[in-house]
Amino acid sequence: MSTLITTPPFADTRTESVLRVSGLRKSFKQREVLRGIDWEVPCGRVIGLLGRNGAGKTTLLRCLLGLSPIDAGTVELFGELMTEPGGERMHRIGFVPQTFDLFPWMKVRAYLDFTAAFYARWNHALAERLLGDWQLDPKQKIGELSQGQRQKLAIVRAIAPEPDLLVLDEPVASLDPQARRAFMAELLELMKAPGKTVIFSTHITADLERADADITLLRDGAIQFTRPLAELREHLRRAVLVRDGGWSHAPVVAGLLKASLKGDEAQLLVEDANTESLQALATREGATLRIEMPTLEDLFVELA
Amino acid sequence: MRAVWQLWLQPCRQLLVGALLLQLVWLVAAILLGCVPAVGAGIAGVAATLLGFGTWFWFTMLGMCLRGLCRPESFLLPDFRRRLALMGGLQVAQWALLPMVAALMMGLPHALLGGACILLLASIGLAASSARYVNLLVWVLFVLAGWQPGLAGQIAKAMIASPWTAPLALLLATLITRLSLRSMLRIDDQEPGASPLENVQLGRSRARALDGTPVRRGKLAKRIGAIFDNTSQRAMEQALARYRAKPTWRLRMVLVRRLLLPHDNPQAIALRLVLVAAIVAFYVLAVMHRQHFNAVVVGAYAILLGLSRFPQLGRGMRQMRPNLADLYLTLAPPTRADYQQTLIDALVVLVPITALSTMAYTGLGIVLTHAAEPVRMLVTAAIVSVGTSLTALAVHLIGPEGNLGRGVVDLVVTLGGMAVYWGGYWLLGALGLPFGSTALLLVTLGFGLGVWTSARREYLRRPPSFDAPLA
Repeated sequence: MSTLITTPPFADTRTESVLRVSGLRKSFKQREVLRGIDWEVPCGRVIGLLGRNGAGKTTLLRCLLGLSPIDAGTVELFGELMTEPGGERMHRIGFVPQTFDLFPWMKVRAYLDFTAAFYARWNHALAERLLGDWQLDPKQKIGELSQGQRQKLAIVRAIAPEPDLLVLDEPVASLDPQARRAFMAELLELMKAPGKTVIFSTHITADLERADADITLLRDGAIQFTRPLAELREHLRRAVLVRDGGWSHAPVVAGLLKASLKGDEAQLLVEDANTESLQALATREGATLRIEMPTLEDLFVELA
Repeated sequence: MRAVWQLWLQPCRQLLVGALLLQLVWLVAAILLGCVPAVGAGIAGVAATLLGFGTWFWFTMLGMCLRGLCRPESFLLPDFRRRLALMGGLQVAQWALLPMVAALMMGLPHALLGGACILLLASIGLAASSARYVNLLVWVLFVLAGWQPGLAGQIAKAMIASPWTAPLALLLATLITRLSLRSMLRIDDQEPGASPLENVQLGRSRARALDGTPVRRGKLAKRIGAIFDNTSQRAMEQALARYRAKPTWRLRMVLVRRLLLPHDNPQAIALRLVLVAAIVAFYVLAVMHRQHFNAVVVGAYAILLGLSRFPQLGRGMRQMRPNLADLYLTLAPPTRADYQQTLIDALVVLVPITALSTMAYTGLGIVLTHAAEPVRMLVTAAIVSVGTSLTALAVHLIGPEGNLGRGVVDLVVTLGGMAVYWGGYWLLGALGLPFGSTALLLVTLGFGLGVWTSARREYLRRPPSFDAPLA
């Protein structure tokens, strides 16, 4: 048994916004996937977009880039509405799709040369280095690459123009641990330059912890919150109340985000937990109290 | 038994209309066979012919379906091979054994031989999708029969009379079935996928199986595919070098074309023409022995060949949609309409390519059949192919999404194109070359341009779509 209490979306107004979404709605036939998304992404941050399978992460990212038509709402990228792609603005965006099945007859080198020919800014040295480091054979056809190698190629293609906004849709899902770490290192290197922003949809929460990302949670077709990871760590605690005979219903405490009952335990995810009042509750209910610091994965499991 | 039933249903699931028609053919043949005691033995010949053709087509279809099903993952299913064999046994019982037993019980002559021949046809049909060289043997037989029809007739009579023919046919059927099953049940590495927009007209095998997986190709097909791919790579490199040296709008468009239509570069087109010429020349010279051909049929067939590029383009554009997002980001168009315009500009090159190819095919037909009025045929082909290819491209830009709708549209456009050639050829004959061609030009091109202009306007109005097709 579990209860979920939603918190209002967290609006960050510290810096200039790269992306501003308002009232975004998107349906596929009768199924409404995005139900009025309001979201603002500040410049210079790594945003980790979390959500369960089918939550609409890919749809949201595609809508942001104008790759999927929206039913209602507005999307602003770099301060301009996305009603039209706007020419060179698209070259400030790097996109790694979930699957990359592009032009299988082309060789890796030909594909990168083709793409580079259209860009005013293309870091050839970086592309070359990544091809070498990630053991991608430029003479191999894309159709002959494994799914992981294609993912690597998509990342090289997205990073090489040194975009101001990098949108990554589960980019590391097919990568081996070495490649994942190497990718994260490149990402962090890219972020050292001023004004670079990354939106990163993933299920691998360890990567988001490494990048010290702001966490955005997408659930039920809406953004539940966007908060810096450090802030989540600082404010969220799991209070575990244990008593013989278990619990008929979850105890109510201030700042409760989610409660779940497992055997003798009542596990409460609490924001800004007041230890004294929790202790008092434990005494009143004849239970012992244990307070834990949840990992990001724990939080994802609890909240998503 | 449920698994065997599911396997039996595969042709109905994948090719419903064909499967129903062929089952109907079987039913009609069975009814005719049942009427033999009442009507007489004469009707048995009709039943046998129906069964023969039905078996051949049914097992060809079955082979196509099973070819896609027999992939490494399927062999992990419990008892997959045994159940496949059981289903095969049921098919053989339905198409060959049952009719043969019925014929034997009715005391019809050559019942055993008929059953054996039907089994042979079944094995040849099965081999059509896995051991294609068996089909070549059938062609060789046709060629030989065409060259020496008298001898072929005598051999056929002797074979019918000989008691060895039935066991020989059974032996051959077993051998061919073994060959095709060995190829079908072999676990191979999957072929790397081809671009959905690649030209797979005559001269290249189909790029994808019924279930959408890349087809397994033979050595020759792989070699031809490699030559086509090399031409694409070379054309792309040349286009890149030219664009880097002088980045003009025209060269940028050439670059996009090289990406979207990899096998529509000059070298690949020339190679395709050579392959088509070789196949058609073989067909006309060896199989048909330069019999008299109707010029209109030759021209209409050339139109059909030329237009066969467009259905595949329509399917390919739908399959490519999710991947074209990358091109969208790369091109960075100012507006969505600019992106759509870029695609139109890239694809419109197919109109002159189709017109020139159709003229080349017509020219080939003229030479091979010694056509009496080559100029009239060429002029008609040139005018009609421009009009019909404009129409075909237009309907594939904005045409229906569903397979059925597209199929109907393809059929209408292709048959329409052939009919217009027919009418055009007659018009040129009735009004003379100058007046007839002017009238044909006005009507055909007027219609083609009208459809094209409307479709273009509609396509530009629509937002680009990068969503994968639902089916």
